[in-house]
Amino acid sequence: MAILKLHGGKQATCTRRVATVLHELQVPFELIEVDVANGAHKSPEYLKIQPFGQIPYIDDDGFLLYETRAICRYIAAKYPEYGLIPTEPKANALFEQAASVELTNFDPSASKAGLQLWIRKMGYPFPTDDKIIADNLETLEKKLDAYEAILSKQRYLAGETITLADIFHLPYGVFVTYAGSESDSVMNRASRPNVARWYKQLISRPSWLAYLDGVTTTTAY
Amino acid sequence: MVLKLYGMPVSTCTRRVATVLVEYKVPFEFVSIDVAKGEHKSAAYLQNQPFGQVPYIDDDGFILFESRAICRYIVDKYPAPAGTTPLVPSDIKGKALFEQAASIEYSDFEPYAYPAVREKVFKAMRNLPTDQAVYDSSIETLDAKLAGYEAILGKQKYLAGNEITLADLFHLPYATLLAKAGSDLMTTKGPNVTRWYNELCERPSWNAVKDGAKSFSSY
Repeated sequence: MAILKLHGGKQATCTRRVATVLHELQVPFELIEVDVANGAHKSPEYLKIQPFGQIPYIDDDGFLLYETRAICRYIAAKYPEYGLIPTEPKANALFEQAASVELTNFDPSASKAGLQLWIRKMGYPFPTDDKIIADNLETLEKKLDAYEAILSKQRYLAGETITLADIFHLPYGVFVTYAGSESDSVMNRASRPNVARWYKQLISRPSWLAYLDGVTTTTAY
Repeated sequence: MVLKLYGMPVSTCTRRVATVLVEYKVPFEFVSIDVAKGEHKSAAYLQNQPFGQVPYIDDDGFILFESRAICRYIVDKYPAPAGTTPLVPSDIKGKALFEQAASIEYSDFEPYAYPAVREKVFKAMRNLPTDQAVYDSSIETLDAKLAGYEAILGKQKYLAGNEITLADLFHLPYATLLAKAGSDLMTTKGPNVTRWYNELCERPSWNAVKDGAKSFSSY
C-alpha cells in the first residue's frame, strides 16, 4: 500500500492542520509541495482534483479527498482507537456540537485575523489591514467568553478528553496570538483562565510542536 | 418525552434543523424563543446555549446546540424513512466524501451567502443601513465558488455523490434567501447548479417548514 500523500504547502495554514492530525494519529505521510507561487493550484489539471483551486488535498492509495476537516475526520475514523472522534451516540453528538462551534464561532474571526497576522509574521508580500485584524480580534474576544463558560465545566470542548474539535483550532488559534505576547494574548488572558489552560495544552502537544518550522514528510514516529 | 426544538420560526438555522426532523419524520414540539426581546441572551438561555444563539434542542433532557450538529444527531439516532438512503453515509469512504461536501458548504458557500443575505435581507428587516460593498464582494466571491459547484454537479447528482445528504440540505436556508437579497446566482450560474438547487427546493421536508418552523406531532 502506498504511503499517504499530502499535497499542500510546507508553511501553508491548512496543510499544517492536516499534518498535526496525521501526527496525532501516527500516520506516515509524504508532503508533496504544490507550486502555489506559480499558480499550480489553479491549473486545469489541479482543478479536476480540487475544483475550488485550494490546498491541501490527500491521495490515500488512490482515494482523493480535500477540505482539511474532512481529511482529518477521514483519518481519525480509520484509527478510532485514538478516540479523536467519540463513537458513543451522545458523546459523538457533543463532539459534533464542539466541531460546529469551531466552524461557526471561532474560525470566521480567527482565520481572518490569524491569516493576516501570520502573513505579517512570515514577512509575505501580501497586503494586510489593521482594521480587519482589530475588528476580528474583537469578535473573537467575545466568542472566547463563551468558551470560558464551557471550559470552566469540562477540560475540553466536547468533554473530558481531547477530540478533533479542539485540534481544529490549530493553527489559527496560534496565529491570533501574534497580536499579543506570550503572557497576554487573546488565547491567554488572565480574565479567561480556562481558555488559557486549554490553549496551553493544545500547543504543548507533540503533534503541534513537530511542524513549528513547517510541514515535512514523516515516515516514522 | 417528545423532542423540543427551541428557536425562531423563520430563523435560517432553526429551519435547517426543522427540515431534517421532517425528513426523518421525527415528532417534535417547536418552542418559540422571543429573539426580538432578547430572550436568547438571558442568563437562563445562556445556560443551555452559551453563545446566545438559536436554535437548540432538548431531547428528553439531552441538550444540543449548533444546527448542523443537531441535524447530524438526528440522522445518527433515527433510521432513514423506508425507501430512502440515510442522509449521512456510514461506509468510511462514503462518509469521507460526505464530510468533504459538508465542509464545502461551510467553507465555500456560507461565508459568502450569509453576508449577502444579512446586508440585503436581515438588515432591511430591522431598518438598519446596508453595506452595498459587502454585498457586492460577497456575491462576486460566491459566483466564483459556484464554478466549483458547477464542476462537481456535472459529474454527480449531489455534492457527496449520487444520493442526497445533509451537505446538500444544509444549503437551503441561505440559498433560498439569495433571490430576496437580489441575486439570482442559484438559477443562473450554470445548468448543473440550477438543476441541483431546484431539486432541493422541491423537497417536501423543506416546503413543510420554509415559511416557519412549527410543531409536528405526526407524519
